[in-house]
Amino acid sequence: MKRAGDNKKGERVAASKGVKFSTSPLLAVRLPSWRSRVVLFVLFAAFAALAGRAMWLQAVSRQFLQKQGASRYERTLELPATRGKIMDRNGQVLASSIPVKAVWAIPDDVLAEPPEKLKKLAALLEMSEAELRKKLDSDRTFVYLKRQVEMDVIDKINKLDIDGLDTRKEYKRFYPQGEVMTHMVGFTNVEDVGQESMELAQQKTLVGATGSRKVIKDRLGHIVEDVGLSKEPHDGKDLTLSVDSKLQYIAFTSIKEAVEKFHAKAGAAVVLDVHTGEVLALANWPTYNPNDRTKLTGEQLRNRVITDTFEPGSTLKPFTVALALDTNRVKPTTLFDTTLSGRIMVGDKPIRDTHPHGVIDVSTIIQKSSNIGVSKMALAMPPQEMWEMFTKSGFGQAPRFGFPGAVAGRVRPYKSWRPVEQANMSFGQGISVSLLQLARSYLIFARDGDIIPLSFQKVTEKPVGQQVISPKTAAEVRAMLETVVLPGGTATQAQVPGYRVGGKTGTAQKVINGRYSQSHYIGSFAGIAPMSDPRFVIAVMVDDPVGAIHTGGGVAAPTFAALAANALRAANVPPDSNVTEILKSENLEED
Amino acid sequence: MSGKINLVLAGLLVLCALSVVKAQYIARHLFIDLEALQQQARQLDIDWAQLQLDQSTLGKNARIEQIARTDLNMTPLTPARTQYLTEGTK
Repeated sequence: MKRAGDNKKGERVAASKGVKFSTSPLLAVRLPSWRSRVVLFVLFAAFAALAGRAMWLQAVSRQFLQKQGASRYERTLELPATRGKIMDRNGQVLASSIPVKAVWAIPDDVLAEPPEKLKKLAALLEMSEAELRKKLDSDRTFVYLKRQVEMDVIDKINKLDIDGLDTRKEYKRFYPQGEVMTHMVGFTNVEDVGQESMELAQQKTLVGATGSRKVIKDRLGHIVEDVGLSKEPHDGKDLTLSVDSKLQYIAFTSIKEAVEKFHAKAGAAVVLDVHTGEVLALANWPTYNPNDRTKLTGEQLRNRVITDTFEPGSTLKPFTVALALDTNRVKPTTLFDTTLSGRIMVGDKPIRDTHPHGVIDVSTIIQKSSNIGVSKMALAMPPQEMWEMFTKSGFGQAPRFGFPGAVAGRVRPYKSWRPVEQANMSFGQGISVSLLQLARSYLIFARDGDIIPLSFQKVTEKPVGQQVISPKTAAEVRAMLETVVLPGGTATQAQVPGYRVGGKTGTAQKVINGRYSQSHYIGSFAGIAPMSDPRFVIAVMVDDPVGAIHTGGGVAAPTFAALAANALRAANVPPDSNVTEILKSENLEED
Repeated sequence: MSGKINLVLAGLLVLCALSVVKAQYIARHLFIDLEALQQQARQLDIDWAQLQLDQSTLGKNARIEQIARTDLNMTPLTPARTQYLTEGTK
């Protein structure tokens, strides 16, 4: 290699007329040696500066720079969790959350937009332009314009392309069954938190846990990588209620018609499953639409089945009779003299029957609903036993079915009972219960003498009952309850074509200003259907019916009949009676 | 000799580096696809919930009753004009 180079040099020497390039006099100029040192030093210093800068960036301001970098491409995404759905026992959706958006604005930026855009925006948000401007007239930099706006409206708003307007994801809960189901399901507020009924009771399981993840986004906004730890969101658990939409609708329409027909203040009905203790229907009137709660009043909100107590009246008589039967004090055929005057004195207080019945047996006492008959029966029994009977049947006991606002009712301690009070309690005065408690207590007659806990959620396991009376007593009382709806009973209007049913009427005078009112009543009926193999316990209450008809037999019994007839048909219960046509008799006995 | 090995290794290194870049590129694309599909799954979930709601709204008993009564002129059946068939009986 070197040799070849030399040869070439030789040729070049020849080309430059004998003067060697390396010995050119121009190049022979000697420079002072410090200049090269200076250059060397400058170069070195420049490198040192670079290294120093690198050191500075890497070591000292590293954290700051990484943070800045991260803020340019890293994003923490919130992963929302959906609130669980609420479904009826057949899987029909009763409440479901759908994503919507909240529209918020930076007022100054939005106000800078042309007025026609604001006009369009106001129209889309369903408010007047003045309202919109009022909302924007604020010192704050963040103003909600409207919450829970549905997605199709949001798309239109986005097309307006208004500066300073943005949206935030949130959920809106829809209740497709509306007013029919609302006292069972309840509702949530704008933050998706349960406020009433099952939405409130099951808030913890329904609500999900929001998650988050850290990601890197590219310049187009695509997520390209997950970084760091991410927290999985957990959706809320779905809730399957015990309620049956069909039965609920039947109960709802029955009670609504009854309240309108009898010009009552309110009404309530509840249907229980005899075998499982499930609440199949729970209806109230008045009610409200949970999807539009702008004009909601307390009256509408009130869940009378659960939160209101009333004096049950004669519906309590079967319990006194059951106790007397169960303790072998009486037989269904035992005779009692209910007097021909229809009036006896207990202490210095009279107890009256609306019609005198003379000497009748226990079964007829129930059929005719004789106050004197049950009073005589009750006074032969120690108060403690009666109190225990009431308590075991659930009266005066704190309910344990997990429903907000459920009341215990009131049964006074037996030690303070005077004889007249004991007599009054035997036919349901001086004691208060909720309609749900009343319905539940009738399970002891519908079942074989045992009582089971109620459930608002679908039951999969067979409930364990607590024996209150013997199966024999339960059967005897059932037979008596059936006579109540037969000719001669107080509730002939409770008859259902094609089915054997039974029950007991109750008419209680309302307590107004601490005194029994002579013109305000609560008519109730608690019944069992069908009698041959009980499936449902149905309790109906009509509050303050106005007009000539105000008794349990007059207002609540026909409501029960309408409800039971449709419920039995809807549940495909085979008929157990050949009586398919019922002639309505207007000739009603008082109870 | 060691020079050749170095050359080969350097070549391999470059190839490896390029394949890392390529793999990262593919991974990101797959990730974007995954994201899109997950988004689609979420959207389908929402649609499903919406459809369930619609079903419940349209299947409302009140609506069915009204249509049955007014549009279809149907009346509720009564046991009086119902023939009940029970399995196992004559």
